[in-house]
Amino acid sequence: MKFGKRIKEQIQESLPEWRDKFLRYKELKNLISSPAPAESIFVGLLNAEIEKFNAFFVEQEEDFIIHHKELQYRIQRLVEKCGDNDDVMFREEIGEIRKDIVNFHGEMVLLVNYSNINYTGLAKILKKYDKRTGGALRSPFIQKVLRQPFFKTDLVSRLVREWETTMDAMFPALTREVEGYERSAAVSSAAAGEGIFRNTVAALMTMREMRRGSSTYGAYSLPPLNLSDSDLVYGRDISLLRYLFLIDKSCSNLITREMDLS
Amino acid sequence: MNFSSEFDVWLDNMRDLMIRFGVHPLESSRTDKSSSFTVITKVLETTMEARPVQRSGSMVLSNLTRTTTSIPSNPSTGEESFTRSDNTQFISKPLGQQTYHLLSSNNNGAVGHICSSTSSGFSTNLHYSSMASHERHGSSSNDTSWCHDSPHGGFLDFPEASHVEDGGIGSAFDDIQKPNDWHEWADHLITDEDPLLSTSWNDLLLNTSSHSDSKVQIPPQAHQTVQQQPSPSVELRPVGTTSSSSNNGTGKARMRWTPELHEAFVEAVNSLGGSERATPKGVLKIMKVDGLTIYHVKSHLQKYRTARYRPEPSENGSSEKKLTPLEHITSLDLKGGIGITEALRLQMEVQKQLHEQLEIQRNLQLRIEEQGKYLQMMFEKQNSGLEKGTASTSDTSAKSDQEDKKTDDSKELVSEETRNSQEPESSQAKRTKTR
Repeated sequence: MKFGKRIKEQIQESLPEWRDKFLRYKELKNLISSPAPAESIFVGLLNAEIEKFNAFFVEQEEDFIIHHKELQYRIQRLVEKCGDNDDVMFREEIGEIRKDIVNFHGEMVLLVNYSNINYTGLAKILKKYDKRTGGALRSPFIQKVLRQPFFKTDLVSRLVREWETTMDAMFPALTREVEGYERSAAVSSAAAGEGIFRNTVAALMTMREMRRGSSTYGAYSLPPLNLSDSDLVYGRDISLLRYLFLIDKSCSNLITREMDLS
Repeated sequence: MNFSSEFDVWLDNMRDLMIRFGVHPLESSRTDKSSSFTVITKVLETTMEARPVQRSGSMVLSNLTRTTTSIPSNPSTGEESFTRSDNTQFISKPLGQQTYHLLSSNNNGAVGHICSSTSSGFSTNLHYSSMASHERHGSSSNDTSWCHDSPHGGFLDFPEASHVEDGGIGSAFDDIQKPNDWHEWADHLITDEDPLLSTSWNDLLLNTSSHSDSKVQIPPQAHQTVQQQPSPSVELRPVGTTSSSSNNGTGKARMRWTPELHEAFVEAVNSLGGSERATPKGVLKIMKVDGLTIYHVKSHLQKYRTARYRPEPSENGSSEKKLTPLEHITSLDLKGGIGITEALRLQMEVQKQLHEQLEIQRNLQLRIEEQGKYLQMMFEKQNSGLEKGTASTSDTSAKSDQEDKKTDDSKELVSEETRNSQEPESSQAKRTKTR
């Protein structure tokens, strides 16, 4: 049930409007158990899920495209207005824009994650179904899934990469900044970032776990995740690092231990 | 390894990474580390606690599954029919009638026209937007093959589904009061669909296997050809479903927008005097895109207007949600402690990581399936050739060989992907160092 637990966590951490758009993994899994449903019924259920994914994904994508353009436009206007000025107005606006860029990037990545986790869940459910019924539904069905709109994340990924490049130019080199000023602006606008951040971390944890190698590792399983060279995060504050380290492990366990140590 | 030594190892990795990024691990500027840390752990506790989301939809769903599993013990007709109708509730809603209008491409357009390495990076942003507008793609067969390959009108197509409504499964549960409809529909479905479906899978497999092979090879080619095509026209290909699956009269075909199409939209809107003045009809007329309906334009215009006049929050309005007092404290500490820019950078890094891993995973999944499919075909060919005589023994040995091959192949994929994933790291490090 590890995947089931993980997807549940991710759903909890996800943005509210997304929560009912995910695969109903647990329900489907339970459905398979005692009398496995007839193939037609089961396929019907899965189709309904897929349709749900498609609808949501395409709609989000459309929103992203619009927002993408608007953000570009905002940057353009700001640049035209202020050039390379260092004045206060400019700083505030650019701070706003940076925040928006990062959050936008985050949301898009989460949509890609949404696509992936639903796909993975489907693949697992199909595998379970075949195991239960001795059938061969998985392979042809998955081939169809691969062609669904929600699985085609190329466009969103492209936008993500574009913004990563833009970010490098929008953020200053790593020198000291007037942080006090920025600090005051931080509080009110932290909300969206927090949610996205937590969701992202939850997603990374899921991936790490999925790729750890399971008891049912086989030909169709993903190979183990290699995060050694590309670790989760960098940061300067030591307590923040510890925070993220804790997230990386199983949460409740570590919390109690850490409480003891501190 | 105990906690502290694990943490040290992890911390060392962090330090290495930071140095590679050109950051020197500074001493913390904050003095009250311990208090913020306790707050953070508290937040962890509350948020990571498995607290199920209480929605009416999901609660009903769990009720349903409970009923389903209790069938063997209580086979009264009442319950049976109820359960059967439960199952069909899953199916009824979003089947089949949602056709897709698929636009030209989605394929991997040019990346990184923008802001490569200059420190005065803002001027290059202007280049970015003007370059983006020059990107015009012809339609990619990669995407449209999804539309065309279903002789039965798409496997989403259930001709019997007469009631078609938008909205996902969640709304299905609101209809739990009306079992009669479900009964009829369920009977219809089960008696008619069963034989059809079991054969249709084989058909679809055979039909699409050749499609898929060619389709899978298309992306790399599309890459090269499309980037050289400056054709301004944007093509729209409707899904090739059978004529029986009409659009229900309301034009509910879902459309997939692209940046290029959106740009054409924006131009049209601007030429009509702005988003407030422009009408869907006018915009539709100017755009002149085949298959684009006024319904599409209307909804898109609505989204566009909303985005323009409320530019700050994310689409989901998540920044408007109420914060618990605990979250207030955390956000204060978290962001205040390390400075907003650093926090943003941090967030960005994590997001980048996730994206990278997702891409790798997706590619792996694609290739695993591709290979599996290929091997399956081989297996079947072999099977048909060995129908007489020693079929059983050769089956098992052939199958185990294939399994081995699959594992080997996926191991190959691992090493390949690892090599690929290590490259971005080094180029990233180089980039930061040259600044």
